[in-house]
Amino acid sequence: MRLLLVEDEIEIQSFLKKPLADAGYEVDSAKDGRTAAQLASHSKYDVLIVDLGLPDQDGIDLILQLRRSGVSSPVLILSARRSVDDRVKGLEQGGDDYLTKPFALAELLARLRNLLRRNLASNEDATRLRVLDLELDFIRRRALRAGEVLNLSPQEFVLLEYLCRHAGRVVTRSMLLSEVWGMRIVPDTNVVDVHIYRLRGKVDTEGREPLIKTLRGIGYVLKDR
Amino acid sequence: MSSKTVNPIMRSAAWRISLWATLAFAIGTLLVFIMLHRFIANDIQRRSDAWLSGEVEVLGDVAARTPKDRLYHRVVGEVAELASREVPNRLRSDGHGNDSVFFIQVGNDGEPKIWVGVGDGVPNLAAIRHSKVVPDVPYDLHVSGFNIPFRVVSVPIEDGSQIYLGLSERDELRVLRKLRIRFFSLWLLIVFFGFAVVFYATRRMLGYVREITEAASRIGESDLRTRVPTNKRNDEIGHLALTLNRMLDRIESSMHQLHTITDSLAHDLRSPLTAIRGKLEVALSGDVKPEQGESIVSAIEELDRLTEFLNTSLDVAEARADALKLSLVELDLDELIRVMIDLYEPSMSEKGLRVHLRSAGPTHVLVDAALLHRVIANLLDNEIKHLPASCTVSINLGESERVATLTVEDDGPGFPPEIASHVFEQRVKGGDSKGHGLGLAFVEAVVHAHGGVVTAANAIEGGAKLSMTWPLATQEKPESLPSLTLASR
Repeated sequence: MRLLLVEDEIEIQSFLKKPLADAGYEVDSAKDGRTAAQLASHSKYDVLIVDLGLPDQDGIDLILQLRRSGVSSPVLILSARRSVDDRVKGLEQGGDDYLTKPFALAELLARLRNLLRRNLASNEDATRLRVLDLELDFIRRRALRAGEVLNLSPQEFVLLEYLCRHAGRVVTRSMLLSEVWGMRIVPDTNVVDVHIYRLRGKVDTEGREPLIKTLRGIGYVLKDR
Repeated sequence: MSSKTVNPIMRSAAWRISLWATLAFAIGTLLVFIMLHRFIANDIQRRSDAWLSGEVEVLGDVAARTPKDRLYHRVVGEVAELASREVPNRLRSDGHGNDSVFFIQVGNDGEPKIWVGVGDGVPNLAAIRHSKVVPDVPYDLHVSGFNIPFRVVSVPIEDGSQIYLGLSERDELRVLRKLRIRFFSLWLLIVFFGFAVVFYATRRMLGYVREITEAASRIGESDLRTRVPTNKRNDEIGHLALTLNRMLDRIESSMHQLHTITDSLAHDLRSPLTAIRGKLEVALSGDVKPEQGESIVSAIEELDRLTEFLNTSLDVAEARADALKLSLVELDLDELIRVMIDLYEPSMSEKGLRVHLRSAGPTHVLVDAALLHRVIANLLDNEIKHLPASCTVSINLGESERVATLTVEDDGPGFPPEIASHVFEQRVKGGDSKGHGLGLAFVEAVVHAHGGVVTAANAIEGGAKLSMTWPLATQEKPESLPSLTLASR
């Protein structure tokens, strides 16, 4: 997987490179729009990360310019602006995604994976999902652990589904809020934790191996091995 | 037309202006006409009086000089007959003889001696006897059988008899009536035409003012880029539009400046925050001892709080300056609150709190979704943080004519008395609060930015009560069911 990171802040570039490399990306980086355009014209990237505040041009203009020159790879937009520009929303609808700074690494990686999966347009078996001894049945909207039906509310089912779809990977609170509840908020209280706690109470019952793990300060992960 | 069904045109300023202008014009021209009419009537009367006086003098002369013999009647009669034919510009009426003039000589015994005119002269004489006569001064005489009065002049003759010469005022009145009819028809035409012209002109002008008003109100609500329409003419309204546009230019530029400042401030702070957060995360994922891990985790949490504080502060600052950018969308407030309750309910019940929603069904509002999410999250966070266990939070969602009203109340201790009157100010928070005191300031700022009002008070029966309004989406009213849905948890 080749990734082009367009970010003018050296500090951010440097801390992103290692985790991206660890996640299996081959990272090229550019500090401004001109370099990015050159790199993109010479080689093909599977995904791009573009910061909106580039020194020589606006990130959105760069994306539009790349699109015009035939670069169709998905883009993850990084924005330090508070309000999300209407143009960013336009791009988001076009299949790209955005992330406001500061962000959690896990979220960045998850959104990259999402973009790539969307790009591959691979549609897995839509009726059943299995993670270890956990099984989700999307037709009857129910979850089973080792063949035993779990008594989940519809909301808990959606939450568990999201964790299962990202099994083995870190899921942050803000990812859950935006994907499960559809809102980008930062609650002042531990609302998400309580949902996870309740879900864990139903999924990881006594005597079973705990599947849902909390990574303090980062998020949660559903074990897949 | 009753006041309820008044046509919008009749309520417009153009209608009133043209009505008043036309009224003033009509009354003015009417007054001028009345003066003219009087002048003309007097003049006509003066002329006919002059003729009468001259004729009666001649007749008196003839009567005095003519010897009182058998021919006297004939001579005077002939002269009078001739005189009556001399009447200038007289129109014959009704075909039977000359009824516009009469001549009568009355002897000193009061009996008529000579009569020239239509009929036998008896009513004329009777009328003359009933009226006071001043010699040589013409006066009006109403004769029974004639609708129109006569103008009569008398002159005494030496032999003691009296000569009366009467001239019908019919022609005089006919001239005046014609004048009046022509004037009124012309006057009505002019008044209607004038009304139409004034109405059209003011309506056009005020229509332009209305366009400016509409454009200006749109600008206030949504964006500052549009301008009010300007016309090519260089008149007062054109100037108004230009002045408004110049003012908007200035406002836009200062808003732009504010955005630039807040955005660059946000940007300048966020980039280092991103770097710090990233490094902490990288450090956390490496080999760390548990105690170190704990401090890194809490540092990350502090950073997230700092970021949220930064965002909220800037939002509040922008909203207070009326510069908050809203991207308005239509959404169902009822559905949103249900999702929010879904999200918050586990935490609340964990703390021993209950939440009730009372809603009148789907309520479509036109709001900035992201800001509204944060407002409601803020309110519920507040309840969780400040309410003691076993309290109940009641959320009421109602819809009045133009706004949706959202009320959040609880049966807890209420706002501490020392802050109750200024909960919306920044940094105002209860003594035991761990927050940064921005929550309700943010709520208020966002509600205001949407053109709503928010009130906070302690309910009489105890507990805090916050209520706020949101603009309804204006297109078709959802056929809201009156049945109350009670979601009790």
